[in-house]
Amino acid sequence: MKRLAAALSAILVLAMCVSPAFAGKLDDIKKKGVLVAGVKDSQPPFGYVDEQSKQIVGFEIDLMNALATKLGVKLEIKPVTSSTRIPMLTQGDIDIVAATMTHSRERDKTIDYSITYFLSQQKLLVKKSSGLTSIKDFAGKKIGSAKGSTSEQNAKKAQPAATIVSFETYPEAFLALKQGKVDAVTTDDAILLGIKNKDDKPEDYDLVGEAISAEPYGLGMVENDSKFRDAVNFALMEMWTTGEYQKIYDKWFGKDTKFYIPLTWTMELWP
Amino acid sequence: MAYQFDWSLVVSGQYGDWIVDGLVTTLKVSAISTVFSLALGTLVCVMRMSRVRPLVWFSLAFTEFFRNTPLLVQIFFWYFGSAAVLPESWNQWLYKQDFEFAAGVIALTVYTAAFIAEDLRSGIFAIPKTQLEASRACGLSFMQAMGYVILPQAFRIIIPPLISQFLNLIKNSSLVMTIGVMDLTYMARQIESYTFHGFESFTVATLIYLAISLVVSATIQVYNTRVLRMGR
Repeated sequence: MKRLAAALSAILVLAMCVSPAFAGKLDDIKKKGVLVAGVKDSQPPFGYVDEQSKQIVGFEIDLMNALATKLGVKLEIKPVTSSTRIPMLTQGDIDIVAATMTHSRERDKTIDYSITYFLSQQKLLVKKSSGLTSIKDFAGKKIGSAKGSTSEQNAKKAQPAATIVSFETYPEAFLALKQGKVDAVTTDDAILLGIKNKDDKPEDYDLVGEAISAEPYGLGMVENDSKFRDAVNFALMEMWTTGEYQKIYDKWFGKDTKFYIPLTWTMELWP
Repeated sequence: MAYQFDWSLVVSGQYGDWIVDGLVTTLKVSAISTVFSLALGTLVCVMRMSRVRPLVWFSLAFTEFFRNTPLLVQIFFWYFGSAAVLPESWNQWLYKQDFEFAAGVIALTVYTAAFIAEDLRSGIFAIPKTQLEASRACGLSFMQAMGYVILPQAFRIIIPPLISQFLNLIKNSSLVMTIGVMDLTYMARQIESYTFHGFESFTVATLIYLAISLVVSATIQVYNTRVLRMGR
């Protein structure tokens, strides 16, 4: 048993050491001429496969495109899931993660984050007919969420008397809501809007409740490479001040879109 | 830049508690499913051995269906499919209970029972047919002959494959996390998503599964050699 444990940990340590020699990500990227970004492929409107073009499109893809242009390189995207994004980043398969990733202090210990590029709020998606409007109504009720998200603990904190049931993906959580197995689905409002508007009868569902928590999304990068992180942060700020960010935002979350969310927050701009 | 290991994170504090909670759930799901699947598997096997045609057909269909479809699909079927099969009022009542746990146990029980039934059948075939005939000739009914003569011997023979089924069940139990049962794998995933320290949490989970499996298999093995084989 002891020998087995030793062997196992040896393999793990070896696997970790193979990560590429440290030369600075920014130089690497410029040398390669490509920025490899890990994005979601099933999370409209952040990153999803477009039905007509069969290409991955979305807010985060456009943002990455703008970032690559700013760095003077081409963009290559790789689909990631909530569970593959961090191993892929630490192994060097991708240079940066843009995958609806909430920035938290706990997570920041493992990777580095950019400044906030999108501010979401966690809300509740309910059936209109249920009459539930606030997290206070959920004592003794079941709330569904998806794994790999931070929503579970947040919901638990906001309503300790509720039972949280986490599903593999959001479509399953939504199916459980449809069938009445859970009374609400909770996660970031932008994602909930995406789920709601994909349904045949979006008008049957409602986004309710005061915001349970703020969910600041940050771009994920490997730990301790401040040169690259600075470049990304400066690019984001520049996009904000030049209005390029607003343009991309309006394309996906503007008034004329299915995912209308007014832009009510301001990016952290360093003087 | 290299990944920093932080083992204290998963073995103590809040995340350590999560692992313990998950372990308890895994043991609960596995233990309940083991007992039920052994009972159901035996029942299905006895039905198969009987001469009553509808029962034979039913058990044949049961084994083949549940042995040959993916467990994950079955878990989804029991959890999401109930809405289509049961009356709405029953569903409403069910959903108020811990339906996730129940659906997980049902899926694991039924799936494992199909395999146990087949193992037991092969065990029964290893016993000379004349024993059943002799028992019947002595005036025992079919059920009595099965219960007193055939099954006790068959169970001894199939202990090694039975251990495999139990170990499979314990490992398969990790699939119930797909319907929101917070088992060990679920908690490992959860810790990964909160801290991004996936290597640690999954290594700990793996070692725990390994430990459970070794303990279960050693215990049954010892029981088998020390207790059951004594009279042979």
